[in-house]
Amino acid sequence: MKHLISCLLIALSFTLAQPVWGKEYKPEEIPMVHLQDRTRYVSNPDGILSNETVNRIDNILYALEQKNGIETLVVAVEEIEGGDCFEFAYQLGKQHGVGKKGADNGLVILLVRKERCVQFLTGYGIEGDLPDAICKRIQEQTMFPLFRQGLWDKGMLEGITAVNTYLTDYDGWQASQQQAGEDEGLTIAFTAFFAMMLLFLIIGYLSDRKARRCPHCKKSGLSRSDSRLISNRNGIKTNEVIYRCRHCGHTVVKQEQEEDDNHTSFGGGSLGGPFIFGGGRGTSFGGGGGFSGGSFGGGSFGGGGAGGRF
Amino acid sequence: MKTISKLIVALVALVSLNSCGYNTMTEKEEAVNKAWSNVENQYQRRSDLIPNLVNTVKGYAQHEESTLTAVLEARSKATQITVNADDLTPEKLKEYQAAQGQVTSALGKLLAITEAYPDLKANENFKELQAQLEGTENRISVERRNFNEVVGEYNTYIRKFPQNIMANIFGFEKRAYFEAEAGTEKAPKVEF
Repeated sequence: MKHLISCLLIALSFTLAQPVWGKEYKPEEIPMVHLQDRTRYVSNPDGILSNETVNRIDNILYALEQKNGIETLVVAVEEIEGGDCFEFAYQLGKQHGVGKKGADNGLVILLVRKERCVQFLTGYGIEGDLPDAICKRIQEQTMFPLFRQGLWDKGMLEGITAVNTYLTDYDGWQASQQQAGEDEGLTIAFTAFFAMMLLFLIIGYLSDRKARRCPHCKKSGLSRSDSRLISNRNGIKTNEVIYRCRHCGHTVVKQEQEEDDNHTSFGGGSLGGPFIFGGGRGTSFGGGGGFSGGSFGGGSFGGGGAGGRF
Repeated sequence: MKTISKLIVALVALVSLNSCGYNTMTEKEEAVNKAWSNVENQYQRRSDLIPNLVNTVKGYAQHEESTLTAVLEARSKATQITVNADDLTPEKLKEYQAAQGQVTSALGKLLAITEAYPDLKANENFKELQAQLEGTENRISVERRNFNEVVGEYNTYIRKFPQNIMANIFGFEKRAYFEAEAGTEKAPKVEF
């Protein structure tokens, strides 16, 4: 029993100590978690990312593969041999064959903390779907500011979310881009909107006062005391309304017209027959259970993507 | 009887051609041609980016006329040199590589001067062009390496016995490699 505990302690100390030592990885030494479990895409041997972040990224990337077939490999390490992030990402993609053969739809996302670099590598087949300039923009706008603050989890998650949004929901991505650029404009728009509201309220109040002005005593004290219907033609009701001034008791009779609420017209088109819901995207999950090992299909890379240092 | 003997000759020829690797040689040669066209495509891609890049820089850095002209000149010289895949002699490849190397170093100088113009560096269009250029340089180096690998395979194959005899008869020639030249490899790596 004593042996067991000390063994466990030693094992624990090794696993805990590993990140501190900072191993210099070679591309072939990066553990491929995807091969053991095809729902996992993030290789995080140095524990740079939290488990929660890894799970969330896995979920995003699993959904992405189901939808677009894009196979992603995310690697976050402390140190790499040689220190060339592009070369390392390229070797990762090439040696493990990330992406499906023929489609070449692999995507490698690499973070090396010591080199302070991020590298996206796009397979031949998705160079058009995810252009270099977009990779660069996502890195510079989303990831680098967070990485500079040491927010590794947040930076990685938001960066990958941005990539996913760009690939699966282009409209949403454009909207988020515009929002980023127009935050100041938005404040101005809000101020203008409230100013307009205020103006309308004042105008409304003044015109109301004017309408309630008594022609006899010139004070705004008219209030509705009685009304009767004169005619109801084509949905337009004509009422004779009697106003009485609160101050002098003078009465005014006005004819007012209003639209009859009950008179509904069927001018527009009516709703067609029953809707048929169908043609939805049939999602089939190939393979057996969720924990079977996956495989990378042998996609090839031509050096697309972008990278930079933060 | 005559037709049968003809058939046999044809069959023997087929088998011997196969065993001596004529088909494989053709396949490997085709792979070399394909790899070469990939290399050319990526250089072309870079060449296509240059006018746009120069125009963008010009808008911000009027005083750098000479650097801009150097880039355009290097580009026009490089586009004049095209090498046919069947005609990849070491001399021609060297000439091609030298011309493209000129473009690389001219671009390196251009990007170095842009450091002095913060407005230019903040320009969205310029940023995207930079990203594209960087990606293209990466692609060029990948395709060059790939080309060298494929050529290496082909060269080794045609010089082995017994393929070398067949290669001589049918005129399969050794192809040239890209060399890690001092000029091109020392050029500043496009990194931002």
